[in-house]
Amino acid sequence: MSVALPIPGFPGRIFAVTLPAGPGGTPVTVGGQNALPLLPEGEHPNAPAVGMEVRTGPLELPPALAGTIGPFAGNPAAMARKCAGDWGARFLFLSLAGCHPDAGGQSVSFGAAVVREVLSATPAPVIVGGCGDEEVDALLFPAVAEAALRPVFLSYAEEKNYRLVAGAALAYGHGVVSWSPIDINMAKQMNLLLADLGFPPDRVLIDPLTGGLGYGMEYTFSIIERIRLAGLSGDAALARPVLCHLGDAWKAREATDASEGTWGDVDARGRRWEETTGLACLAAGADLLVCRHPSNVARLSGAAWR
Amino acid sequence: MALTAIDIYKLLPKTNCRECGQSTCLAFAMQIAAGKASIDLCPPASDEAREKLSAAAAPPLPKVTIGTGEREVVLGDETVLFRHEKTFYHPTAIAVSIRDDASDEEFASRLAAIRRLSFERVGQRISVDLVALRCASGNADRYARAAVAALAATGLPLVLLAPAGPLAAAVEAAAPSRPLLAPPPEDLAPAAKLAAERKLPLQVRARGIEGLTVALAAARAAGALSLVADPSPETPREAVSFATNLRRLAILSRNRDLAYPSAFDLGGGFPDPFLAAALLVAKYGSLLVLDSADPADLLPLLTLRQNLFTDPQRPIQVEPGVYPIGAPSESSPVLITTNFSLTYFTVRGDVEAAKVPAHLLIADVDGMSVLTAWAAGKFTGESISKMLAGCGIGEKVTHRTLILPGMVARLSGRIEELSGWRVLVGPQESSALPSYLRRLPPAAFLPVHG
Amino acid sequence: MADETGSIRFHPDGVDVPGIPGESLLAHALRGGIPLLSPCGGESRCGKCRVLVVGKTQGGEDPGALTRAEIAAGIRLACRCFPSSGDISVTILPGSRPARLTAYLDGKDLAGDEPFLPLSRAALGSVPLGVALDLGTSTLAGTLVDLSDGSVLSRATADNPQMACGEDLISRVVFAEETTGGFELLRGRLLSGVDGLVRRLLEASPVPGEVTDVVAAGNTVISHFLYGISPSPIRRPPYHPVRKEYPAVPGETLGTAPATARAMWRIFPSLGGFVGGDVVAGILASGMHRREEVSLLFDVGTNGEVVLGNRDWRITCSSSAGPAFEGGEVGCGMRAYPGAIESVRIEPETAAAEWTVIGRGRPAGLCGSGILDLCAELFRAGIVDRAGRFTSRGAGRRRSTERGEAFVVVPREKSATGCDVVFCESDLKSVLRTKAALCAAAEALLAAVGLPREAVARVYIAGGFGNFLDLRSALTIGLFPPISLARFAPLGNASLAGALGALRNRRRWKEALSLASGTLYHDLSSDHGFMELYQRGLFLPHTDEESYRSVLAAEIRA
Ligand code: SF4
Ligand code: FES
Repeated sequence: MSVALPIPGFPGRIFAVTLPAGPGGTPVTVGGQNALPLLPEGEHPNAPAVGMEVRTGPLELPPALAGTIGPFAGNPAAMARKCAGDWGARFLFLSLAGCHPDAGGQSVSFGAAVVREVLSATPAPVIVGGCGDEEVDALLFPAVAEAALRPVFLSYAEEKNYRLVAGAALAYGHGVVSWSPIDINMAKQMNLLLADLGFPPDRVLIDPLTGGLGYGMEYTFSIIERIRLAGLSGDAALARPVLCHLGDAWKAREATDASEGTWGDVDARGRRWEETTGLACLAAGADLLVCRHPSNVARLSGAAWR
Repeated sequence: MALTAIDIYKLLPKTNCRECGQSTCLAFAMQIAAGKASIDLCPPASDEAREKLSAAAAPPLPKVTIGTGEREVVLGDETVLFRHEKTFYHPTAIAVSIRDDASDEEFASRLAAIRRLSFERVGQRISVDLVALRCASGNADRYARAAVAALAATGLPLVLLAPAGPLAAAVEAAAPSRPLLAPPPEDLAPAAKLAAERKLPLQVRARGIEGLTVALAAARAAGALSLVADPSPETPREAVSFATNLRRLAILSRNRDLAYPSAFDLGGGFPDPFLAAALLVAKYGSLLVLDSADPADLLPLLTLRQNLFTDPQRPIQVEPGVYPIGAPSESSPVLITTNFSLTYFTVRGDVEAAKVPAHLLIADVDGMSVLTAWAAGKFTGESISKMLAGCGIGEKVTHRTLILPGMVARLSGRIEELSGWRVLVGPQESSALPSYLRRLPPAAFLPVHG
Repeated sequence: MADETGSIRFHPDGVDVPGIPGESLLAHALRGGIPLLSPCGGESRCGKCRVLVVGKTQGGEDPGALTRAEIAAGIRLACRCFPSSGDISVTILPGSRPARLTAYLDGKDLAGDEPFLPLSRAALGSVPLGVALDLGTSTLAGTLVDLSDGSVLSRATADNPQMACGEDLISRVVFAEETTGGFELLRGRLLSGVDGLVRRLLEASPVPGEVTDVVAAGNTVISHFLYGISPSPIRRPPYHPVRKEYPAVPGETLGTAPATARAMWRIFPSLGGFVGGDVVAGILASGMHRREEVSLLFDVGTNGEVVLGNRDWRITCSSSAGPAFEGGEVGCGMRAYPGAIESVRIEPETAAAEWTVIGRGRPAGLCGSGILDLCAELFRAGIVDRAGRFTSRGAGRRRSTERGEAFVVVPREKSATGCDVVFCESDLKSVLRTKAALCAAAEALLAAVGLPREAVARVYIAGGFGNFLDLRSALTIGLFPPISLARFAPLGNASLAGALGALRNRRRWKEALSLASGTLYHDLSSDHGFMELYQRGLFLPHTDEESYRSVLAAEIRA
């Protein structure tokens, strides 16, 4: 007896976006699907990709990370090589957090030099993140755009600075990550603004702001689902691959507190906390995950089905 | 398709007679459309309306209960495919397994471990819901004794994973606790009979959706009515696909033959059970059986479940309290706003942009914006003064000057009067904060004496 | 004696008011009946109550609203400044004195012609007169009718004197609650405003007679004040008024002046805390309650109310839209008085602005329709982006101000005030919020009943502003949902038209009473979808720009 499954057909398709690689590297292409995630239906030409974060500036590492990525703190190029080489990260998110005045205030030219260094250390695709300080970023993004000798993505463009970020990206052939604070409408608005500037849709990723497990993950989950459903239903401004940072998972006390005896081993728990955050993002429809724990690259890739 | 309020209105008498307790027929139609009222409350409704509306109101996915009393576990009874469409009502139930062939000591310590899988998070208790008792001994007596012991030790309802013989013995010993009978596929017939006789829930296991069609029909034929469908996947990927399609068949196709809560046994060598469990919590698993009793596994899974099964219509709120922005000192400005998350994000961003380190007080107003909260009487001179006194900001700064959102400048007098703090009226618009903060003379935040 | 608070002399009126310690200068001015602008109701939000003080005072030196130089010169905010001792002289600065309202238009009555069946015709020897009143938040308007034949004898308008105690209704409710004697003060102000209006109507009437009937339409808060009941519960959940119906009473019961003391006063019933009898009167005038097709009615005023429905059912709500279109909340905004820019065009190439001014003089500021036009033109010319931020275009026409970068609409040499008339990003954001709230209110009603926009056959725009606004501009910025322009019909002051209709035909009055019970009030504050619809509206023209483009391509910049 055969049962007719009510498999939804969607009129829309997510734009395929490629994060270019350097010579000898493997570019990452995500998007291109016309169906919901994880399911063997419709077309999924590209699997979601798992990458890792490389950052400048001080970061207090929880126990689960201290032993793994700890030794690379302060050496972005070595960290990048390790992530892409040994840990299997398909792309890198290079956060220039160290340029923030409150995080040591590295100079803009220093930030740009780090970008150059990382790009020559590995051919893996790179997304470069600003430091989050509006005024510093206003100088940093143009400098990075110019310093990057191969195409990267700049993260992130938001309503306040999109002209500047997208302008810098356009001038040097980079892509952008469009950011909005857990709000589907603001996500769409950002993409319409970018489109008004003539930014090519196949060079845009959506960062919906990822809440960590236990701390707002559910809002992100639903926003990703809605962005994806809207994109598949034909809303072109939302038909973009979605990028999730799992870093917020490490802000949770549950991921870092070694003192709670009944919570189990803090290393395992921390890893699981990030992994669970990532799995929820994948279930909702995320296309790119940025994780911190090396073992989660493989773990999460285990659910990155096509 | 669900009927809209206007569709329903057209079926009503349109007399606004108010017998239903609503002010107009349209109001009543909106209540029905939202699932908050039933047509029975409208005495003058026609038979046609009654018939059409009760058919539309029946839940697409039936409810199955396991256990009794406080620990009762409810599966199914969902109405939507995506939580943002309304909400998910019944969280994925999580069972941790135990084998009946363990030594008494091991058995007891495992039960104790299971009992400890219960955590306090954001004011809620999140716990493993059931104990899944695996029959590994093949011995009916032993299995029945184990069931009784597990019940006694944990108080949690049971999933009885056992062949017909031991299953019958355990039911004999533990039926009033309303366990879920989970026989292997080959023992479906006797177990279904048992479930029918004892009016107990039955987990029907068969390979895939096609297999379930046959097996569920057989269970129904044997008189078992409270059913849970286990499509027995071999990989996590298959599990997600089966779970999704079972839920779609119930909600989109209204296929009564397959509309049952789903169950998955992720133990006994199932590949990557943790990954499968996390995905099934997100995607339509109604009951999961896990072999792991490691809190490092269960705490994240239970937290994910807690997150995804909250009502998405609750406004996004920020935890109230004192938030440092930059590295504020004892003479840094103190600002206040409400705990609606967008308000918080905006104000925070603008204060950061000012590059003036500051203390940001987030008041608890149930996630309303400043003006809404003020209009609703939640953001008042009284509540703000209370917060100033109770949140510990007095120890963090030596001055007593508060910057109040310009939109509620009217509160300043009352705050000054009640709290003894001086109030500076900030700008109307958060976006003007950077220039406002930079212009403030440092003298505004000198320590108070006496 | 030096420590005693002396008397306060207000200039240029030259009125002395005895000083009371602990009472603001604004409160003194109110007591003395001295006109002083205080749109925020004395909450030091608007910064418009500026006075020049000579003598000993405390406070009012708000660093946000006044510059150092101003403070040094003795300029204070009257609402935050208190007398300390001795005699004080207070000069009200020119910009802080209210102007007179002169422009006014009658409302249209689309409900159709009917036999003349006046509410009553108690001719006691003289001609029976009827008064139709529209009691608005900021404006009172009235029409005097000869009840023996239905002819209009005179018309008049006046500012609502309650404005001094807060421009928006909530501020007034708070004022009534928190100020001793606040309720009586507000009620007294309303009655004196109404009495004054009736007096002017009678003075202007060519026919003498006796007022036998008054029909008044006002929002719920004003109706409560008029009827002498506390509007307090309206501001707190569940936002229910004390009463929705106001049984007819003679004027003497309400305490009106002798001219209407013996007349029967009929106040239009309210639909909810924030949707009042003015909206019922608007529905009456639109005739939407008699047709099978579904209509939307917008009442655009200090608050925005929306009604959706037809003959059988109606649902209504109030949007929390601020008074951006009445000139409040916008830096160079003003009411529609002479000197206000009422329409604007911007030349896209040069970004130069052209304008027309009410009364043809030099422009002093922008009124609602001018603001609307300006926003639409700035967007069309590409000077602002969809999020309401300035782009690189038209940079030459901008300058930086205290409130951030601003577009110069009128350079100072051409303005009436000697200052630039400017429009800055925060002004635009304020307009965005207002229009988003109004549009979202309509969409929330559609969503509540489950109807698509396409089901709306007619869109009525009520409110004085509705008559002047350029619908193309309104739709360019998404003030209303994307519905074909041909379906829109402006009604002008529909509330007054509805009151007039009821005065002339008692069947209409009956309809009004039944509308009250047959129209559902929808509370947006408990509508979970509203915030999201609102967020969608915070964009130009709207986040759903596809719909605006497909429905209105010809009318708006596509
Ligand atoms: S009881 Fe029925 S007819 Fe009467 S108001 Fe309610 S829905 Fe309408
Ligand atoms: S600032 Fe508005 S009345 Fe004083």
